[in-house]
Amino acid sequence: MGKERDNMFLDVKGLSISYGDIRAVQNVNFYMEKGELISIIGANGAGKTTIINSLMGLVPVQSGTIIFKGQDITKMPAHKRARIGIRIVPERSRVFPRLTVYENLLTGMYGMKNKVSPEKSILQLYEIFPILKERKNQLASTLSGGEQQQLAIARALVSEPELLLVDEVSTGLMPKLTQEVFSVLETLNKEHQLTILLVEQNAFVSLEISTRGYVLETGQCVLEGPATFLMDNTRIKEVYLGH
Amino acid sequence: MQGLIEQLLNGIAMGSIYALVTLGLALVYGIMRILHVAHAAVYTVGAYAGLYIFHGTGNLFLAFIGAMVLCAIMGIIIERFLYYPLMKYPPFVPLIGSITVLLAIEEVCRLVAGPYIITFPAKLPFPEAHIGGIFISSTLMAVYCITASVLFILWYITTKTSLGLAMRATSQDISMASATGINSHMIVSITFIIGSAIAAIAGILVGIYYNQVYPTMGTVPAYKTLALIVVGGLGSVPGAVVASLLLGIGETILIGYANIPLPRDALAFIAMIGVLMWRSEGIMGSSR
Repeated sequence: MGKERDNMFLDVKGLSISYGDIRAVQNVNFYMEKGELISIIGANGAGKTTIINSLMGLVPVQSGTIIFKGQDITKMPAHKRARIGIRIVPERSRVFPRLTVYENLLTGMYGMKNKVSPEKSILQLYEIFPILKERKNQLASTLSGGEQQQLAIARALVSEPELLLVDEVSTGLMPKLTQEVFSVLETLNKEHQLTILLVEQNAFVSLEISTRGYVLETGQCVLEGPATFLMDNTRIKEVYLGH
Repeated sequence: MQGLIEQLLNGIAMGSIYALVTLGLALVYGIMRILHVAHAAVYTVGAYAGLYIFHGTGNLFLAFIGAMVLCAIMGIIIERFLYYPLMKYPPFVPLIGSITVLLAIEEVCRLVAGPYIITFPAKLPFPEAHIGGIFISSTLMAVYCITASVLFILWYITTKTSLGLAMRATSQDISMASATGINSHMIVSITFIIGSAIAAIAGILVGIYYNQVYPTMGTVPAYKTLALIVVGGLGSVPGAVVASLLLGIGETILIGYANIPLPRDALAFIAMIGVLMWRSEGIMGSSR
């Protein structure tokens, strides 16, 4: 890429992660500039979720470094990463089932109260996701799958993060809802300059809104480039896009 | 009739004390999914610490505060140096560790305080009451008032404060809690502090109630409270409290008053077996 990598928003170098004897991710390199929306695509078990969890600090890294805004965060605990502006929308939403919708949103602000006003921020999110306002006093476990997914996104956004990690948001959503969720992400990226890393099996929808993409196979990055380039790539078409 | 009411009052007191010990166990199970058998050792140490501070200073208030602080520290030590390193193993490993610590602390108590019963001749500064020929001693009053206050404070913290929100979130999904900015390891430690300090209160109350403190006073509660958290629904604090009160009342009424020929300590385990057979999620538990 030949870019000055010191100024990079997110810079991941030589990332390797194992679960016991199984190597889930092997020597993966990628970077993100501020305001970018990029995708990591690949089949089930390719190591996508592992990468996103390691960026959040939820799985330990064997070797390699993660630099966020010039700071080495490889060994930083998850809650500190959350407080410096990294947030995750995890696979299958993982909202807190026995907290209300409103309480779930409050957890997203934990430790941030001096920086962001909770009421104002939550009201803004109710505008994006009106269903959450209707259901604000319901336990999260009573929401439908799609509503839980929206809650997970809102919970990640309520602290006004700088980097949003989105893991398999389309899983379990109806196609129509998937489109809606992706258009919300696109708006956040385009209008609010939110940097977003998408991890998806649903390669076509995610590449469509991305600037660049990385293709992961059995823990290794096999292809990278602009989203349009990847969408035209014959191999990608065959394997992931089903053309 | 009067005898029955008096037994009922005793039963509620007994149940209150069970509740104070059991809720620590429920809190720890809820947040770490560990059966914290060593909690009963914390309770025993609380009783001894309260007794010694009371003998030294003559001040019961200081005895409570000192024992609570000591037990809180003990709770953190158990969490940091026993459970935290063992978390990556299957649940029976920390359980074995916990039983070991219970036995070890009992032996330390025996070595330090001697293998005999020490009396705890303190009078709790609460009023007595005579209501229609029923007498409520100051000790009973103290047990009621202290338990009610502890339960109220705990309810307030968990439902009305941001610390409580963090505790609830951490007990539902510990790694997601970290990802939302909650220092979940600190929340785990705070949970141990709260549970252990309450165990100290329970230890002193039992010491005064029965006027005796001895090294193995935690042995029966250790296993009885395990039965109680199963009956209440694993990890459910309200369930643990209700199960404890019901057991206290059941023990005194069924065995003390109705003279059912069963050992008193068997009732908790009979209830546990019943719950496991017919309602395995516990009386207050939801399917988690």
